[in-house]
Amino acid sequence: MAARIMKRPDALIFAVTMAILAIGIVMVFSASYTTANLERGDAFYFIKRQIAWAAIGLCFMLFAMRMDYRFWRPLAWPGFLLSLVLLAAVLMVGDEAMGAQRRLVFGPIGVQPSEIAKLAMVNFLAAYLTAKRHEIGKFTTGFLFPLATVLLITLLVILEPDLGTSIAIMGIAMLMFFAAGTPMRYLLLLASGAIPAVLVLIKVAPYRLRRLTAFINPWQDPLDSGWNIIQSLLAVGSGGLFGLGLGESRQKFHYLPEQHTDFIFAVLAEELGFIGGFFLILLFLTLAWRGYRAALRAPDLYGCLLASGITTMIVLQAALNIAVVIALVPATGITLPLVSSGGSSLSITLAGIGVLLNISAAGAKPGEA
Amino acid sequence: MKKFSLVTVRKRNAMLLLLFTAIFTIITLKLFYLDVIMGDRLFAWALDQRRGAIPILADRGDILDRNLTPLAVSMSTDAVYAIPAEVEDVAKAAADLAPLLDLDYDWLVERLSRKQRMVWLKLRVDPDTAKKVRELKLDGIDITVRPQRFYPHDQLAAHVIGFAGIENQGLEGLEKQYEQYLKGIDGMLLQERDATGRVIPGAKEQRIAPLDGHDLVLTIDHVIQYIAERELARAVVETQSEAGMILLVQPQTGEILASAVYPTFNPNDYQAVPAEYRRNRIFTDIYEPGSTFKVVTGAAALETGVVTLDETFVDPVHLNKWGGWVNCWRSQGHGVQTFVEATENSCNPVFAILAADRLGPKNFYKYITGFGFGEKTGIDFPGERSGLVPKPGEIKHGELLQWANIGFGQGVAVTALQMAMMVSAIANKGKLMKPRLVKEIRDRNGRVVESFQPEMVRQVISEATAMDFAKVMRSVVVNGSGARGEVPGYRVAGKTGTAQIPAATGGYSDDRVASFIGFAPVDDPQIAGIVVLYKIGVRPAYGGTWAAPVFSAVVGDALEYLGVERLFEEKIPVTPGQVFVPNVVNLPKEEALEMLRKARLEASVTGSGQFVEQQFPKPGAEVPPGTKVHLAFFSDEGDAEMVVVPDVRGTSLRDAAVELGRVGLVIVVEGSGMAKEQVPPPGTLVPKGERVYVKFALPQ
Repeated sequence: MAARIMKRPDALIFAVTMAILAIGIVMVFSASYTTANLERGDAFYFIKRQIAWAAIGLCFMLFAMRMDYRFWRPLAWPGFLLSLVLLAAVLMVGDEAMGAQRRLVFGPIGVQPSEIAKLAMVNFLAAYLTAKRHEIGKFTTGFLFPLATVLLITLLVILEPDLGTSIAIMGIAMLMFFAAGTPMRYLLLLASGAIPAVLVLIKVAPYRLRRLTAFINPWQDPLDSGWNIIQSLLAVGSGGLFGLGLGESRQKFHYLPEQHTDFIFAVLAEELGFIGGFFLILLFLTLAWRGYRAALRAPDLYGCLLASGITTMIVLQAALNIAVVIALVPATGITLPLVSSGGSSLSITLAGIGVLLNISAAGAKPGEA
Repeated sequence: MKKFSLVTVRKRNAMLLLLFTAIFTIITLKLFYLDVIMGDRLFAWALDQRRGAIPILADRGDILDRNLTPLAVSMSTDAVYAIPAEVEDVAKAAADLAPLLDLDYDWLVERLSRKQRMVWLKLRVDPDTAKKVRELKLDGIDITVRPQRFYPHDQLAAHVIGFAGIENQGLEGLEKQYEQYLKGIDGMLLQERDATGRVIPGAKEQRIAPLDGHDLVLTIDHVIQYIAERELARAVVETQSEAGMILLVQPQTGEILASAVYPTFNPNDYQAVPAEYRRNRIFTDIYEPGSTFKVVTGAAALETGVVTLDETFVDPVHLNKWGGWVNCWRSQGHGVQTFVEATENSCNPVFAILAADRLGPKNFYKYITGFGFGEKTGIDFPGERSGLVPKPGEIKHGELLQWANIGFGQGVAVTALQMAMMVSAIANKGKLMKPRLVKEIRDRNGRVVESFQPEMVRQVISEATAMDFAKVMRSVVVNGSGARGEVPGYRVAGKTGTAQIPAATGGYSDDRVASFIGFAPVDDPQIAGIVVLYKIGVRPAYGGTWAAPVFSAVVGDALEYLGVERLFEEKIPVTPGQVFVPNVVNLPKEEALEMLRKARLEASVTGSGQFVEQQFPKPGAEVPPGTKVHLAFFSDEGDAEMVVVPDVRGTSLRDAAVELGRVGLVIVVEGSGMAKEQVPPPGTLVPKGERVYVKFALPQ
């Protein structure tokens, strides 16, 4: 036991995280100060919050890094149930903004339960799939039951409604099943079930179909449904190889929607160019590499699945977000982890990375510092 | 059932890393495509959508007369505009502005809510209103200066200048013809704006300065133009004509000195009159010229040698030839006359013979087109017509009759401009010039950008023939129908014309065109031109009676203004003590009697009527004092019906003319304003066609 205390977490994960976090803070400031000034009368409105949440998140990270990851395993069920309660609460007493209830407000602090639920679900699946490791090939206990719990969470998030986060949750869960060794036929079954699900979702809210058609041909309706995609492409393309320079984005002036959250990568690409965008992508890819490496080296299956899930959670969202911005996939509404403005996402992600760091330390070979 | 295997877990985690490596690779490729391959294009699109141009309007060039007197200038006026994105409270702004700008509230709301960078609310507001708008201090509402067209002389030369619309674009006349020179090129202020229309702070601004339009220097002389318009207005009202035109040309250059059309309009308020009042009929309307066209026939006949000046003709009065009748306008005919006298008398059968028999269609056609008929003169004015001239051989039967008629101006359609250029060619030693309205184009600093030199179209007839025919035309004024065209000392040469207007149903209507073409002084022509009174309302409707005196008045004043010296030919009688018989043809009865009395001659009057048709002895004859001069009068059309003179005192010029015309009396205008006195007084019984003198004065 003494040896584990002495082992040190993966410095590269830490460094990459801090780098992405720093880029995020700079970009949030650059992207938000004009609108913040106009709409809130305070150019520093968003950046002050972002820094405060980053500080809170770093505390979470340091705490989780020092706490043995096995501490979280018994909290799988309580965490899952707490997530359900919070998600149910947000539907009843949540703060309504832009036609959706996504936040619980405690005084000056707003919390997004869906972000907590994401991490709680990762921990729950890691713990559950470890416990049922020998029934992994069994359809009911090995697949259907955990899938049901995931679907329950997903359903509550859809009801907010928050399609982007639900897609992310489903994606993370799928990849965790995959990592845990769930037979491929189950996963293919689940994937084929996604098609009717999409049809139902479009039927419920037809605006989702317009998003899809806008993705296929944004110029059909450039001022309405095609607007976001076109403005995003114009911003990204304006950057060229080296960008217009930090703070020089023009598209952030009301052309880009949600320029400091969902479309922050567009601002980054406009200001820092292909070089800046590629650098950020490399950072996320490094995180993926070191994250899955930590999973492979974890001392036990729980640690492996937990590290894999946390890594998946971060890089999947990053890939989805950037893919939307450069119009590789239809708009979904997913934030860029560690970069986008938003307190819950930032602090929970940092907390997750804290856990990941702890696992990396546990799996470190004695020779490694 | 598959057993748990740590190997599978490890493999699958490794595959996840590969999956994300693949995904991020695809993302990087797409990012490279957008940034590096499509970058420039996307940047340009983005810039394009952000950039809104606020125009900086160029000043429209001025229009100046030949002495650089401004006829059309650009003035700056205030205009109210809005930037909808910056309007905070649309309803309040609309409510405040509606009464102030006299605009509809709903219209304003719609404008202020538009998703446009900038909208004009009202152009041309007076300074007082502009000040009030500024005092409202409404967000997003502002005043800017816009150039506006202003015509300082109101209707002066309106038909030449035309006018520019509210957007400062040339709509008619020279304003339209020279639009590309006058309008200049607007500049613009390029600012990057955000999606809601606000200026992006710190973004680059680009100012492209406007290029002001060029000035036009016309050939028109505004004083001569004024004289022409003044006399034309008086004549059209007095003769109750539907319209009138005067065109004056400098014969040697083809430069147009004056182009007057009545009824006229004020280009500062061009919408106040119907469009037909605004067209320049001189260039755009065609008519049958009648006897003035005999100048073409006569000059062509002299040039080709088919007639000599002193060849004698016997007026056949009624000539049945070429398959139809040609009648002399005078029922008694003109008896035995030389070619010169036939021109003085305007004897139709003689000119019919010259045209159809002596010249023949082909030769005659050559000279008609030689003088520029049947084709556009190429004047720098929009909408010029070419007229209608039949081609020889066009019709199989009765062709000679057709050309016989053209010989005295029937069956051919011309513009007043073509007639004026033709008579200018006679005055200019047979050289037909291209007419011009613009002398020079100058830039804002007065530097000449383009200068238009006189352009000769062709030598139509020889110099000798032209000078011979000029003498014939002089004789028309001295001894013939053109007596009233004379200006003492200025030796006018001219030709009268009275044409019928073809009826829409075929044949001719009762409407008449009275005209006079001429130039002066005959031996050194300074001005040539034409006077046309269209659909003249008085009878008899002869050009020599009505158009000639207008020509006399205009050309007299114009030459006086140009400083041309008057030259009086002092004729000394061969036998001492004898006197010359004056030319009283076409003069009103009283004036004719007065002239004879002054010449110490007696008058013997036969018939009734108001105007002298014929006199004997002829003008210029040397007779002993006290000789009786026999005067024959135009018979009044219809019986000499007696009418009661109506009371026109207190009415306007136009109303008085209409009222007198209604009972068949002719108004003679003195002064301007409202009618004050009239002679004969109201209630007097007078013969129809009698002249009533009305004195006008401005109300006190």
